[in-house]
Amino acid sequence: MRRLLTILLLTVAATAFAGASAIEPLGPGDVAALLKPPARGERIIMLWSLDCVYCEPNMQALAKLQHAHPRHIQLVTVATDSIAQRTRIAARLDAAGMQGYPACAYTELSPARINFLIDPNWGGELPRTIVIRTDGSRTALSGELTDKQLAQITP
Amino acid sequence: MTYQSPIALRLLVPLLCLALLPLIASAHVGHMDMADEPALGASAAFDANGRLWLATVRDGHVLLRHSEDLGRSFSQPVQVNPVAETIYASGENRPKVATGPAGQIDVQWTEQPTPGWTGYIRFARSTDGGRHFSAPITVNHDPAKVTRGFDSLAIAGNGDVVVAWIDGRDAAQAKSAGKPYAGFAFYYTWSTDGGETFAPERKLVDHSCECCRTALARQPDGKVAAFFRGVYEGNIRDHAFAVLHTDGQANHPERATFSNWRVAACPDQGPGLAIGAHGVRHAVWFEASHGPAIWYGQLDPGHAPRHALKLGGAGASHADVAVAGKTVWVAWNQVSAKGYSLILRVSHDGGAHFGEARTIASSKLAVGSPQLLERADAAYVAWNTADGFRLIAIKER
Repeated sequence: MRRLLTILLLTVAATAFAGASAIEPLGPGDVAALLKPPARGERIIMLWSLDCVYCEPNMQALAKLQHAHPRHIQLVTVATDSIAQRTRIAARLDAAGMQGYPACAYTELSPARINFLIDPNWGGELPRTIVIRTDGSRTALSGELTDKQLAQITP
Repeated sequence: MTYQSPIALRLLVPLLCLALLPLIASAHVGHMDMADEPALGASAAFDANGRLWLATVRDGHVLLRHSEDLGRSFSQPVQVNPVAETIYASGENRPKVATGPAGQIDVQWTEQPTPGWTGYIRFARSTDGGRHFSAPITVNHDPAKVTRGFDSLAIAGNGDVVVAWIDGRDAAQAKSAGKPYAGFAFYYTWSTDGGETFAPERKLVDHSCECCRTALARQPDGKVAAFFRGVYEGNIRDHAFAVLHTDGQANHPERATFSNWRVAACPDQGPGLAIGAHGVRHAVWFEASHGPAIWYGQLDPGHAPRHALKLGGAGASHADVAVAGKTVWVAWNQVSAKGYSLILRVSHDGGAHFGEARTIASSKLAVGSPQLLERADAAYVAWNTADGFRLIAIKER
């Protein structure tokens, strides 16, 4: 019941919340929780950075996908920049219309270690989209997603 | 859809985060403002007298320090730019320092003049041993506030200062004209008067990658050459090599790596280049066509690199290369769950074969990209870590 409420809240938050994005810290010890399979549907983790020119269109495409499947997709954005840059990160998320989606940024000054913990077979290129399903299976894709790839990860 | 009141939403969103992400409850850095935490982007260079110069960024200033004892102690920092600017200093964007034959200290960095992806390439020179710097100048003549950065700095054999960078002006123009344009462009300029003025910048080539550092190195003929990531047909992220002519000659950028890695992404890992006395172009680069990999090879522009050697895979990143005589050093960061290792391999036959990889330093905290430096034919690695700057001497076995 609580989880259902959570997902409902996600829908509301993603579509109606107009305040500034709140950025939460993501440290090495938090990665396991981030990667834990969801109870239903799928969690989409969208990794991005302030430098990345392909990331905003990608997160907006994923937000659109989430909006179309609010009961089955949890969307979380994770900036690989240090949370020391939280003001810039929040401003960029707000400008991209991502208010209301849970948002994190790395606690470390360089991203490689947390990148490695999230996905050792990833060289850090961005955007990186990781889809985690209830059975623990994952799909990880580098780069701005094509329509075909978006269709593949649609629940 | 039922619309909620703003007050209800303000309560719901934190609840949502808590429910979705237990990670936020852990006590890491909390909400305190860490904006004054120094970024790890730094550069170091030896001068002709063996003194080490180190450029870092803090609170809107490029800071320059020097060390007389191989990095064990440093002078008090000197502010290169007296007026604070927003300066790129993380990841692959970092301030640069180079020393010239007459003892000059050149410093170059990218300012972010307005929020967003904008950049001005800045430069200042000291001619009194780093005590004072000339008033910073913007070297790009085009004033448009477009993306610029991932810059590099080199001193040509004739003393000219060469500065190169990734520039978004052509992409911006194409976008406003509704035309497609892949990536950004590679521009460069040079100064023949000791950094007082720079020539109008020259475009080397369209379609560079957007967010990878560029590499410059001096050839035996004194000219400066560039190695950088491009965007080739079909979003292939291979690299190009070119001599940067400053005498009006036509430039001939050529593709120099052939991994065929296709991705619409920012790799955020630019290459390294060192050119030996006989003109052999020793290079290191990253690609992920078959999983992440960093490579060594000798560039043969227009053809696949010679003596290509995969240095590392998962967790290996940000390699650098240096050469002196027949000795070639390659160094890179190797990350694991426990932290970072600085890995070195050495060749004594000009890069045809390399010895075993060995760990020469480690850090539990975050690290910047390693930079190989030479001093009297010995090599050192400059490694900026969240624990502080380290200069690691390479001891031959």
